[in-house]
Amino acid sequence: MAVYKRRYNPYTGSLTPEWSRFFVLTRYAFADLFKARFFVVLLVLSLVPILFFASYIFIANNKTAQLLMQLRSAGLFSVETQYFIVIMMVQTKAAFLLNCWVGPVLIAGDLTNGAVPLFLSRPFTRADYVLGKLAVLGLLLSAVTWVPCLLLFSLQAGLATDGWIWSHLWMVVPIVLCSAIWILMLSLISLAVSAWVKLRIVATGVIFISFFIPAGLGEMFNAIMSTRWGILLNFSYMFRLILAKGFRERSGLLGSFGWDEIPVAAAWAVLILVCLLSLVILNARLRARETVRG
Amino acid sequence: MMNPTIELTGLEVQLGGRTILRGLTGVLNSRAIGLLGPNGAGKSTLINTLLGFHSPSKGNARVLGLDSLTNGKALRSLVGYMPENDAFISKMSGVRFVRYMAEISGLPPAQAMERAHEAFVYVGLGEARYRPVGTYSLGMKQLAKFAQAIAHGPKVLILDEPTNGMDPPARKRLIELIREIREASDICLLLSSHLLRDVEETCDEVLILRNGQIASICNLVEERRANRKFLELETIGAEATFTSTLEGLGCECAVFTNGRIKVVMPDSVEIREVFRVAADKGVQIRRMNHRRDSLEDIFLNAMEQTGAADGRI
Repeated sequence: MAVYKRRYNPYTGSLTPEWSRFFVLTRYAFADLFKARFFVVLLVLSLVPILFFASYIFIANNKTAQLLMQLRSAGLFSVETQYFIVIMMVQTKAAFLLNCWVGPVLIAGDLTNGAVPLFLSRPFTRADYVLGKLAVLGLLLSAVTWVPCLLLFSLQAGLATDGWIWSHLWMVVPIVLCSAIWILMLSLISLAVSAWVKLRIVATGVIFISFFIPAGLGEMFNAIMSTRWGILLNFSYMFRLILAKGFRERSGLLGSFGWDEIPVAAAWAVLILVCLLSLVILNARLRARETVRG
Repeated sequence: MMNPTIELTGLEVQLGGRTILRGLTGVLNSRAIGLLGPNGAGKSTLINTLLGFHSPSKGNARVLGLDSLTNGKALRSLVGYMPENDAFISKMSGVRFVRYMAEISGLPPAQAMERAHEAFVYVGLGEARYRPVGTYSLGMKQLAKFAQAIAHGPKVLILDEPTNGMDPPARKRLIELIREIREASDICLLLSSHLLRDVEETCDEVLILRNGQIASICNLVEERRANRKFLELETIGAEATFTSTLEGLGCECAVFTNGRIKVVMPDSVEIREVFRVAADKGVQIRRMNHRRDSLEDIFLNAMEQTGAADGRI
């Protein structure tokens, strides 16, 4: 099928391994995303707080800098558990905003233009498709949550003396684990909503409100039934609960929790349930052909 | 022994509570198979089942010996599919879209890029390859879909209504490409169309569906061979002696008004014998036709028949 010959020749060359093909979707999605100026701006803005957090750590560990800034109280700059909780809270919010914009871009276009049958008519399953799209969000949201958080942790560990790293090493687990569940839940919700509504702008709006409307319903449920269990529908609250438990935080920085009323296992169960529900929606909506019932 | 191109064994498919394909059973061995039938006959459902998009509720379907359900992935690795409906990524340039699809089929990036350019030039969209697919006309989108179906060099090409929305020159060009691909390689072709002419020009065998059942399976090569022996003549001159001489050679003749004669020749008689007899008897042959509307006849016959058993009308 050489261009100059204008005739068809079958392909006889080598093929890439089947397991790696999902990454083609990821590669193309990233290439498309970085063409959009709005995305680049959003990504940069998501990473700006990291510079401030890093500067803070630098000043906190540098007496000369503190003197130059005429800061008398050394206690003003302390990098402890609460500091990393603040970093996590800021960066997970940035991840949420980034996800609201990027998620629908990934999947809605394929569905509105009927491209799904083209993917699925190849040796490529729906699981590969979801994995390819999920990898985009996974990598992107990791880049603004646990990766910079661990870099800041490493920076603090490098600058601090008196064995700070050994007394705080346990924080690596909640940083990674809490980020992982948050990223997984955000990614799956945005893919499921995009597959459901198909229109990009509408999907962005629905993802946004999908965090607020259930929370509102939960509050109504609490008020009517005089219970605390309606709070389970507040996903952000559930995440904060997991974060607080993970970081052993009881100072009220993450909000006042009724520790005895909502067990942290319930919070984990809710977030995992949301992930499973999103997978069910994806399974129902990502079809090569839609079946009209009746 | 070679596997049949398509083998259907009691294939039944239910969608949304309705039975769409009703126990289809048949073997198609030709390399180019046409799929015909009126709207709602089950053509697209059959294609989707062969691709593994729908699971059979009973029976099975095989393509080149691979079961559509149990060997779906292996089967799809052989397939190039051009769907009937719009299927593209609107903001991608044509060549990038085809390259993307080729890479998903397993071609390494460099080869995918090369094949995408080649496919685009081959289908005649070379000049438009850097334009976003969303800006293409309907005919161009059809060609872009065709390019993505052939770029990775499939062994089975499944085309669902490929000439939909194309003007006559573009349609002719696409049919020529399909024929060229069929002849240039050992590719198997399954073409679904409403247009009998598309199927007649590209296929060797047809499967006609009606109400989810097989109305007819017909080998067009054999039909064409048989039709070559059926002539329609318009003559001027001594008809009686001309026809009696032809009958003497073993032909069957039917004489109509205005010198029109229908002749069925035995295998031993060639057309040049007819010319020789006409010259000997001083008969002018003003027009000679082979019977050309065979597929239309087959199709109409299949549509007129009723009743069914074992998925066959």
